[in-house]
Amino acid sequence: MFSAISVVKDFRKGFWMSEDLVLELKKLIIQTLKLEEITPEDIQDDGQLFGNGLGLDSIDALELVVALEKAYRVVIPDSEVGKRVFHSVKTLAQFVREESGKEWKP
Amino acid sequence: MKYDETELKVRFNEVDSWGMVWHGHYVSWFEVGRMTLMGKFHLLPNDFTQMGYFAPVVDLKCTFKEPARLQDEILIRTTVLKPTKAALTFRFEILRKSDGKLLASGEETQVLLTLDGRMLYIIPQDLRERLQPLFDYLEEPDSVA
Repeated sequence: MFSAISVVKDFRKGFWMSEDLVLELKKLIIQTLKLEEITPEDIQDDGQLFGNGLGLDSIDALELVVALEKAYRVVIPDSEVGKRVFHSVKTLAQFVREESGKEWKP
Repeated sequence: MKYDETELKVRFNEVDSWGMVWHGHYVSWFEVGRMTLMGKFHLLPNDFTQMGYFAPVVDLKCTFKEPARLQDEILIRTTVLKPTKAALTFRFEILRKSDGKLLASGEETQVLLTLDGRMLYIIPQDLRERLQPLFDYLEEPDSVA
């Protein structure tokens, strides 16, 4: 049956699968961590976010966890999960897609 | 936000050849302030360990305004910011007691690790409950203007 909810759900599904999420996450990283001199184009989809890549540190991870929870209702409990999720924007997008799908209830 | 206070007198081994306190000692005074405050709530490092956590310092800032000198009586003021993420951020002020002059101010951030070295991204419920009396205390009005 057609309903407004199913339209929203389909739209969200499309959004999660698209490249828009990757771009949105890059913007979220820049905004949350106030990386004023960096643009989304500077962040490679596969590039390392921590260490030698974008150079983020442990406090940055904590800030991102809070921002991601607010924006997508996803929970990253600790560095064990964080290491995998925060490897790159691509792995982060994959996690958000998977976990938001689970959490989201219309 | 309330600051907790403790006092000490500058010792001979803390001054440099110019008769002023060597800058590194201010950090150890921060530690005196932190231990005094956290000790009131049974939140000393060994209490954290008993709960299964380490809380290492990952960030430290100190701004120096005026030198402290030998035998100066100083006031260490300490508070903790209400956490917005899984970290504890302490703020410190070092004042000279005789004239109330601010000598230095600083900030220190500690994160939370499990004993096997996993960093926590969310403050666990048991620790939240243990921290609550500390934040209740710090939300009381500050007695010093």
